[in-house]
Amino acid sequence: MNLPAQIQDRSVVGELASAIAVESRWIISDTAIMTWRNLIRYRRSPELLLFSTLSPVMFIFLFNYVFGGAIPTGNLNYIDFLMPGILVQTTLFSATQTGVGLAEDLQKGMVDRYRSLPMARSAVLGGRVAAETLVSLFVACLMLAVGYIIGMRFHGGFWPGFAVPFMVAGFAFGFSWVAAFIGASVRNAEGAGSLMFFVVFPFTFLSSAFVPIETMPGWLQPFTSVNPVTYVVDLGRALSQGGPILTNAWPTALWTLAFTFVVGPVAVWRYRKV
Amino acid sequence: MNLQPTVNEWRDQPTPPTTPMREAIGSLLYEFRWLASDTAMMTWRNLMHYRRNPETLASTIAGPVMFLLLFNYVFGGAIGAGRDFNYIDYLVPGILIQNNLFTVMNTGIGIAQDLQKGFVDRYRSLPMARSAVLGGRVCATTLVSFASVYWTLAIALIFGMRFHGGLVPALILPLVVAAFCFAFAWVSALVGVSVRNAETASSSTFFVAIPLTFLSSTFVPIETMPGWLQAFAEVNPITHVVNLCRNLAQGGPLESYAWVTAFWIALMVIGIGSLATWRYRRIS
Repeated sequence: MNLPAQIQDRSVVGELASAIAVESRWIISDTAIMTWRNLIRYRRSPELLLFSTLSPVMFIFLFNYVFGGAIPTGNLNYIDFLMPGILVQTTLFSATQTGVGLAEDLQKGMVDRYRSLPMARSAVLGGRVAAETLVSLFVACLMLAVGYIIGMRFHGGFWPGFAVPFMVAGFAFGFSWVAAFIGASVRNAEGAGSLMFFVVFPFTFLSSAFVPIETMPGWLQPFTSVNPVTYVVDLGRALSQGGPILTNAWPTALWTLAFTFVVGPVAVWRYRKV
Repeated sequence: MNLQPTVNEWRDQPTPPTTPMREAIGSLLYEFRWLASDTAMMTWRNLMHYRRNPETLASTIAGPVMFLLLFNYVFGGAIGAGRDFNYIDYLVPGILIQNNLFTVMNTGIGIAQDLQKGFVDRYRSLPMARSAVLGGRVCATTLVSFASVYWTLAIALIFGMRFHGGLVPALILPLVVAAFCFAFAWVSALVGVSVRNAETASSSTFFVAIPLTFLSSTFVPIETMPGWLQAFAEVNPITHVVNLCRNLAQGGPLESYAWVTAFWIALMVIGIGSLATWRYRRIS
């Protein structure tokens, strides 16, 4: 067994530091392996990827061509208005896979095998979250390409536009922890899937993702304007089309951090208790 | 006990001379009676499924409510702005057709499931009409969607939809929806018989029903769509049946839509229905 050199250092601080270093090295390499395992699933059953890319593309066409003509969006083209919204909606829905997959592993007893292995427990969750985030990033780029082909343009400059898929994937990363929490709590793939749907569906549709908030009835607007999804979508819109970035960036960052550092540890804790 | 023999008036009649024609009619009637009672039995069996697993009805019950709220409140303000109709009045006939098409799509999924699990092999060993297996599924989903029409209309009335076309057309509306669902159930049956796998049946119906219902006048007026899409939406049978339902509920010309709808219903029941039965018989 070749331990790092620091472990020879016998001072308390040195021992603690080296223990943390060893631990975190293990967590990182375990998480990377679990991420890889989850990504291989997409290679082995490509229909998973097909479903997570085909339906978003269908949604782009559906909203742009069927509803686009009937929804007034001020001085923006509807496709320009739509793309940030549909990106966020799609990545949130694909992030729910984190929870569904985790629940499946719990249900089928796969997790019991992980437990018998000398690996970091949080890596099971972390691997799922990281894999889904990478898939989200891929899907976001693909959708932007499709959007570009059917007429979406970036009017906010190159770098802000470049940041859009990363920003969306970042939020999806945060939300994946919420999904992981639900998956670890429900422990039943169908149950987790349908519960997730009832969480994500209202939050994405009762937001500025598809229609301007001003056109909604008055009693709905207070909810839609504090809905975190509205901030994320408006940030994406500001990045890709120009507009106030900071006012939307703060709430987005705050929610992402809250999901990651508050819900994330709770999810890991729930998973450990299983 | 007085067991005085009563005169059987019928027996005393001279029996009619049997001709080949009469015999043929008699055996047809006999066949038909069996077909009807077998189909009724299978319908009952499929309806029992819904009673035993009420969760299969969840999407039929929750679907229209969700779509009604979503489209009316989230999209309604944007789509209905500056138009000469109340959006909920425009929307409800569309939702009736859309949601019930999804309900009758269960026909094919159920048939594929029965084929996959080998249940159909058991039916084959029974002395029953073969077409009753398909017919029972079709009738059961049609009955469920017929009930769902009233449920959807009740919800819609609560949220502000009103009938402006008179009482009789409003009473005919559910019948039109049910007739169209019955016809479309045969399409789903054909899909189920052809793919013979429940998951494939469910995803292929998804790719049939979503484009058909959305690329029509179900949710937005066709005039707001791009030109190339209008061409498709105008010949889409869903557009015709939705417009017929809309005019039944809100008043407006019926005849042209009624003809096209009747044509499609006849085509689906007679053409696709017999094709589905034929394919089902050929399965060995």
